[in-house]
Amino acid sequence: MFLLTKGDKYLIIIIIIISLISIIYVERDATSYNSKYISIQVNGKEYKKITFNPKMVGKTIPIKTKYGYNLIEIGDEKVRVIEADCPDKLDVKQGYISKPGETIVCLPNRLIIEIKGENGENEIDYLSY
Amino acid sequence: MLFLALLVSMGLALSIIESFIPVPFIIPGAKLGLSNIVILITLVLFGFKEALIVGILKSIAFVLSTGSVSSLIYSLLGSVFSCLIMYFVYKYFSNIFSLIGVSIFGAVAHNVSQVAVASLIMNNFKVFSYLPPLLPVSLLTGYFVGLSSIYINKNLEKNFKKIGINRD
Repeated sequence: MFLLTKGDKYLIIIIIIISLISIIYVERDATSYNSKYISIQVNGKEYKKITFNPKMVGKTIPIKTKYGYNLIEIGDEKVRVIEADCPDKLDVKQGYISKPGETIVCLPNRLIIEIKGENGENEIDYLSY
Repeated sequence: MLFLALLVSMGLALSIIESFIPVPFIIPGAKLGLSNIVILITLVLFGFKEALIVGILKSIAFVLSTGSVSSLIYSLLGSVFSCLIMYFVYKYFSNIFSLIGVSIFGAVAHNVSQVAVASLIMNNFKVFSYLPPLLPVSLLTGYFVGLSSIYINKNLEKNFKKIGINRD
């Protein structure tokens, strides 16, 4: 800490504060409510589209198609399958998904539950110079 | 004039050496910015125009020697912008900030302009999310660069007559 004037020290503190605030802001922005929705697809076609909503916490939605039956439960920013009539029940074992891009798949019932972002790609997957 | 060429080559050598040092930060492209020592010294000893020239020439020479053209626009615009900011801070505020403060300003300006250029090129505003982790890094490197510049500057001021440089 040698040769630092008072102005330097204030500058450093200000920059640290700015970077902390912006880190918090970026975290909040990446997990915001209105940019995610659940897309339920059966056999490749979109069966239902559910936007996340605070009122939907705890709601269960049955998906009954000619391929099978699944029961999904919507949680706080997340979704999971709690009942399924497929033999392996892998989708039930998977638990919650919450981030855009994550999926729960039930192959025997041809069911895909995917979380998507409102405007397509929100996150950068990879950046190289 | 000759001394400027010397400074450019020193900056180039520093840039090449620092590209060998692996930076253990999660941010790609974060570098120690050692060549900013040269730019800062030029700014203090000679002036804004000379510092600008040294910065631009160093960026071009770096691209010529390492062949990574994609970094040209980032480093060029970053050097120009940080030169501008450092000049203003040094000229008007040198009673509040020592050279360390000036160099921190320059490092922050450099990183901000690099991220801005990146977000323009990729048409994606979210690139700015790289900025918060970059800021403390630029603090650290700016501090180190400023400290080195202070010592080098003191030494050079003392020995100007001996080396025989005339400041034109």
